[in-house]
This record gives sequence, C-alpha cells and structure tokens, in this order.
Amino acid sequence: MNSTSNIRSLLTTGWLQGAIPPILLVALILIVELAAPGFLSGETLMLLLANTAVLFILAAGVTFVILIGGIDLSIQAVASLASVILAQLLPLIGMAAFPVAILGGLLFGILSGYVHVRLKVPSFVATLATGGVVAGIALWLADGRAITIEEAGRENTAWINGTVAGVPAVALIAAVIGLVAFFALRYTPFGRHSLAVGAGEPAALAAGINVPRTKIIAFAVSGTLAAIAGTILAARLSSGSPNLANQLLLPAIAAVIVGGTAITGGLGGVARTAVGALIISIVRIGMTFIGINIFAENVVFGAVLITAVAITIDRSKIAIIK
Amino acid sequence: MLTANAITKSFAGVPALKGVSLEIRPNEVVGLIGENGAGKSTLMRIFAGTHQPDGGTLMRDGQPVRLRNARDGAANGIGMVFQEQSLLLNLSVAENIYLGQESQFVRFGIVDWKAMHTAARRQLDKIGVDIDVTARTSELTFAARQMVELAKALTLEETVSRQIVILLDEPTSVLSGADIEVLFNRVRSLKSRASFVFVSHRLDEVLRISDRVYTMKDGEVVAEHRAGDITAPELHKIMVGRGLQTAYYKEDRQLPPRSEILVDASKLGAAGAFSDVDLQIRAGEIVGIAGVVGSGREEVTRTIGGFMPHTDGRLTILGDEVHFRSPEQAVRRSVGYIPRERRVEGLVMFLSIAENITLADLSAVVKNGLISYRRERSLATDWIRRLHIKAPGPDIACRKLSGGNQQKVVLARWMTAGSRILILDHPTRGLDVGAKEEVYELVRELSSQGVAILLISDTLEETIGLSHRVIVMRDGAVTARFDAEPGKKPDQVDVVKAMV
Repeated sequence: MNSTSNIRSLLTTGWLQGAIPPILLVALILIVELAAPGFLSGETLMLLLANTAVLFILAAGVTFVILIGGIDLSIQAVASLASVILAQLLPLIGMAAFPVAILGGLLFGILSGYVHVRLKVPSFVATLATGGVVAGIALWLADGRAITIEEAGRENTAWINGTVAGVPAVALIAAVIGLVAFFALRYTPFGRHSLAVGAGEPAALAAGINVPRTKIIAFAVSGTLAAIAGTILAARLSSGSPNLANQLLLPAIAAVIVGGTAITGGLGGVARTAVGALIISIVRIGMTFIGINIFAENVVFGAVLITAVAITIDRSKIAIIK
Repeated sequence: MLTANAITKSFAGVPALKGVSLEIRPNEVVGLIGENGAGKSTLMRIFAGTHQPDGGTLMRDGQPVRLRNARDGAANGIGMVFQEQSLLLNLSVAENIYLGQESQFVRFGIVDWKAMHTAARRQLDKIGVDIDVTARTSELTFAARQMVELAKALTLEETVSRQIVILLDEPTSVLSGADIEVLFNRVRSLKSRASFVFVSHRLDEVLRISDRVYTMKDGEVVAEHRAGDITAPELHKIMVGRGLQTAYYKEDRQLPPRSEILVDASKLGAAGAFSDVDLQIRAGEIVGIAGVVGSGREEVTRTIGGFMPHTDGRLTILGDEVHFRSPEQAVRRSVGYIPRERRVEGLVMFLSIAENITLADLSAVVKNGLISYRRERSLATDWIRRLHIKAPGPDIACRKLSGGNQQKVVLARWMTAGSRILILDHPTRGLDVGAKEEVYELVRELSSQGVAILLISDTLEETIGLSHRVIVMRDGAVTARFDAEPGKKPDQVDVVKAMV
C-alpha cells in the first residue's frame, strides 16, 4: 500500500513539475512509429500538427481560465456560434466576417467573466449557462441547420487551408497564438496576476491585484480563442453549424490537464497545453489505428481526463473535494 | 501515565524530532515550550495519534502502545484541543460534543436528542460553564467554543476506564486575558481527574499553569524544570539561547514622529461595525488600537486597507480624500496591509519568494511591459540578504518558509511597493520569540524611514510597547487615547479599563 502511494506521489510531482507529459508524448510518438513505420515522416507530422491546431487553440484559451482557478464550459458553443457567423457573413462581407465572428467570442467571454465575477456565480455554472445561451443563439441564427460555405465564400477561407513553405497555415496560426499566449502568461503582469489569483485569491486581493479584472480578461481570452478555433474549423470543413464543435469541450479540457496544468489553478501554462494537445491528437490517431470506433473517442477522452485529474490534483490545496 | 521514549520523526528527510523522551504523570499539568519548528506540534500529534513516529516507543501506563490514528489515541484516553478549533460551526454545541459518538443516543435508528442534550449538559457542568447546548456553535464566542472543545475532550472519561490525558495546543493564542483566566481555572479544577499537556509560546502563562515544564529546541528536549524553580526570562534564554532583552520592543529606537499627516480619519464610520472614529497617523508614527474582539478595531483596519468601504465620515490618505472600494485602490494610494492570516491573505503560498515580493508592484522588474526574471531574482536576492530571510534562494515557494521568514517576505513586498502607510494586523501572530524580535526590528526601521503604521496586536504589551500612541476601542467607538512615548508608556491596567 505504501509503495503504491509512493508511485502516486512520484507521478503527481513529476506531472505537476512538467516532466511527465513530454516523456509521455515522446513515448506515444515512438509507439505509433513502431506500430506504423513512417509516421515520423514530414508529411504525416504536418498532418498531425494541422489536425491538432483547432484543439490546441481551444485548449490554450481555456488554459487561461483554469489557471485563475475557474473553468469555461462554454467554449464549444462559442466556437460553434463563430462558425455559424462566419458561414453566414462570408458571402455578404467577405474577410470582414472573421473579425465579426471573433468579436462575438470576445463578447460572450466577457459576459461569462462578468456573470462569474460581478454576480458571484461559480464559473462552472456561469459558463454552463452562457454556453447554453450561446448554443441557443447559434441554433436560432442557423435555423438549426448546417450552413455550407459556398464557392464564393471559399475564396476567403482558402488561405486557412493552404500551406506556407510546406507547413499548413493552421499550424502556423496555432503556433503564433501559442507563442503570444505563452508570453502573455509568462512575461506580462496580467499573466503573473492570473497565477497569483489561481494559487491564492485572498492574498492576491490583499496585495492590491485587481482580481475581478484579471478574471474577466481570462474569460475574454478564452472566448476569443474559442471563436478563432470555430472560424478555423468552419474554414477547414467549409461549413458552419451550431453543432460544429460539440465534441471538442472534453478533449480540450483533457489536453490542458494532461499537459500538466493543475485543475485547481495557479500552476501550468500554454506550453504544457501544447504538449497535452499533441498527446490527445496522437491518442486519437492511435485509436483510429487500432480500430476503435471514432464515435467512441470521447469515451477514451473522458477516461483520460478522469485519470489525469485523479493523478495530478493537489489534495493539499483542497481539503475536501466536492 | 504517558511516556515518550526516544521518539524520532522526519518529514521528507528533515528531522522534526530527534529522539524525544518525556513523561506525563497523573494529575499534573505539563508545560511544553519551544520556538516555532522546535517540534512541539509534531510531538502533540504523535501523542494524539494523528502522526506516527519513525522510531522510539510510546508507553501508556507502562504498556507500549501504537497509535495509528486519532481514534486509537482516543481509545487510549488521549484527547486534543486544537490550536485551530475543530468544531463544526453549523452544528449545535451538543452535536459537536458528541460528534462521531452519536450511536449511544440512537434508539430504533433515531437520535434521542433529549438524551444527547442532557449528556452534553453534564459534560459542560464538569467544567462549570453555562452554555446552551442547543445553540448553534457559530453563535458562541471564541472563548466559549474553546470551552466546548474542552468538554468534548472530556467525553473520553466516559469511554475510557483510565485517567485521561488532554493535549492543549496553544489554547490561549486566540483568547483575551479574562478568558485565559477562565480556562486556567477550569484546567486547575480538572487536574484531579486528568493530566494536561499545555503548549504555548507565552512563557509566563506556561509557568503559571504548569507543574513541570519541558523546553524543546531543534527537535530535542533540552531542559526540564519544576515550574517554581525557574523564571520566564531564564526559560526564554534556554529556549532561544539568548536572554530576553530589556528593550524587547526596541523602545530606544522609537523616534518622535514627523509632522506630515499621512492618514486622517474624521468621524469615520461603517454601518454596524464602528462609528465616529477620529484617527491621525503621522509619517514615522506607530498608532496602536487596543480592544477586544468585536470592539470594531479590526473593521477600522479593514476599512483603511480597502477591504470594507466606510459609510460615514471622511478618510484622507496622503492629503486626498478617498473612499476605497477594493484593496487595489488602497494599494494605489500607498497603503499596504499585513494580515493576520499570513498563509491565506499574506502570501500566495505556491508562488516563489521573488514572485510574492513583486506581487503588489511589478514596476521595478518590468521592462517594456514584460517581466524581467533576472531583475526579479536579483531584487528578491537583495531582500533575502537585507532582511536575513532564511531560504536557499529566491525561487523557493513561500509555503516552505517558516512563519517569521514568511512575514519578512510580506514586509519586503510592501517595501518594494514603496508603501508609505502600513497596516499591521497581528503581525507577530504564531511567531516564536526570536522571529518576533526580528519583526519588531523591521517595524522600528520602517517607522524611522517615515512610514505611518497602524497596529493591532494579540497582546497589549506589544501594542503599548511598539506604539507612539494607543487608541482604545469598545463596541465600535473610541473610549480612550494614550500617549506612549518611550519611558512614559501607559499602564496596561488603565488601557484594559477602557477596553472592557
């Protein structure tokens, strides 16, 4: 019994200090390479990156919220709404549809943050509710149907599906977003304040940090990145739909936690989420490879999330788990 | 009755107890003193069964025992009254006293409340206090809750056939003087039926209540005395390895304040908490507020710290009238708050020393809008050196520091932020004597640099000893004001008169 708890504490510290997720990622890549030689070739790697991009952007956004000690359950609805807005507006206003769709995400992010902070509603309830509102608006706007982006609109989405110097454009977009998010968290006062709020809100408040503003910004970032992910998804699938991102909430949160960001807040970052998103992507590829029905993938991701949280949650920070 | 033989215990390789042997005899009160980190609390937890020793043996009435958990401890007649109270505030007094032992009152699957209340009444009668057993615990005063804890520990008498041992872990740290007397009287009268172990930082109290005193230092028992054979200063010398200085509060360094008024409260009030408070603090002046729990002094400090807006009167900070709605606004106006709850409000325990020091003001380490980790580390390294913070480096998480060193990190933060007004809310709570002296040293230093300081403290001696002026509050109003110049400090008795 003692030895299992030792292994467990070893896993916990290794995971939260960030050592285990990269090792896991490398191990998974090697396993896939052994099972299917040629996986490490440039072409499939590029495909892997392109397929991970949307998941990573969503997960990077929710990383901000998890770091302040909250959770954002509205991201899939926000992403879907953005896809609907993009698909509807592309024929009308062309490229300007992108900023409009993204602005929608920003606004609903701020709304979630506002509900959580000003009305003092726990973030999981606040974002569950705003997510429902957003999903309803998306269904209403789209009249419940998927909207195909027609030929005329596709001119404006082609750049997303193209490559730059052999690298998929979506992977580059994700990389830029990842870098900006990384710097914002690590090197700006806002990033520092986020960690402080997540790790010890009363102390952060007493130190004069504007806790409400820090939290609202985190939700705004989450909403914005969710909307960006939604527009990219729409461009790749040439369609906007109120259900487009419906299966992405679970893998996105799993990516954050598997990457080594603590669900209790205050510890982690976007670089870890990048590793986590790649792990989730490779697991997804591996599942296809060994013949698991694609519809069952969230069964696996649910199990992965539970396992990761069970291993990593720092029980010294919360005495009682409710 | 209860004997420890060469008990050892390490946490993550760091020895907390290095072979401790001591003995608790029937019908006696044993005092246990030592600085923070001396191992007192660890030893208590081993006696109570919540920690298990790595080596050595525990003997109960001459028989070796193994206590695997608190239940084993209770089965051996060892009960603990916790430093941080362990009562559930949403339950009644009777429910708390019999928490986990309700089965004895169950008839046909239903709790017989009447029987439980009668039994709880009997427990409270043992210590001679009159508390309504049906009252919700949250409605009791802190002192009354302590009595309930004691009554709860005494229920062991009914389940264990032998004489019981009650461990009191710093029970007086949150009690006022009168309540301490009440507690001591109860302990004295219960001595005929139980033995007590009394842990405290306050040497005079330990000497007053104990028959014998063990002194611990660095995980070992270094001395054992009969209480009548030694004085507090001598004991202090053994405990810290140096003498209690006559100028404990550094009164020789108390300089006259400057003329500039930094804080000016006029008829300040907050609905339901305090009213008509006039208060001025000059640069370099330390103003202490004395008062019991509920006097409103806490709320005055919270208001000036920005945690609680005032509803009446005027508050002028650095010459401008202000109405703080958040601590952030207070911090912008150069007000720093050093809270009593160091681990909750003082520091972000999981962040490093460096990150905690720059938490209130990053401007010293931000270049082009980005944090320079190199500058931050060197700033923190500088403070570690200047304030003698005991830490391997600036990247260590604050939760790994001792209480005194944590408090220095909080002070370093406000010095980095250049705060001209500091609120010290029980700045030495839970610190050992040595760490307290270092804090006093720093407070004097800040004062001589022209910082205006508002102080509330656990002990009246500290309030009087450190302050230039003492304001006394009762029931939300100021009842007296005393000058406290060096050599002309007010008598405690006079201050207490205005408090109660």
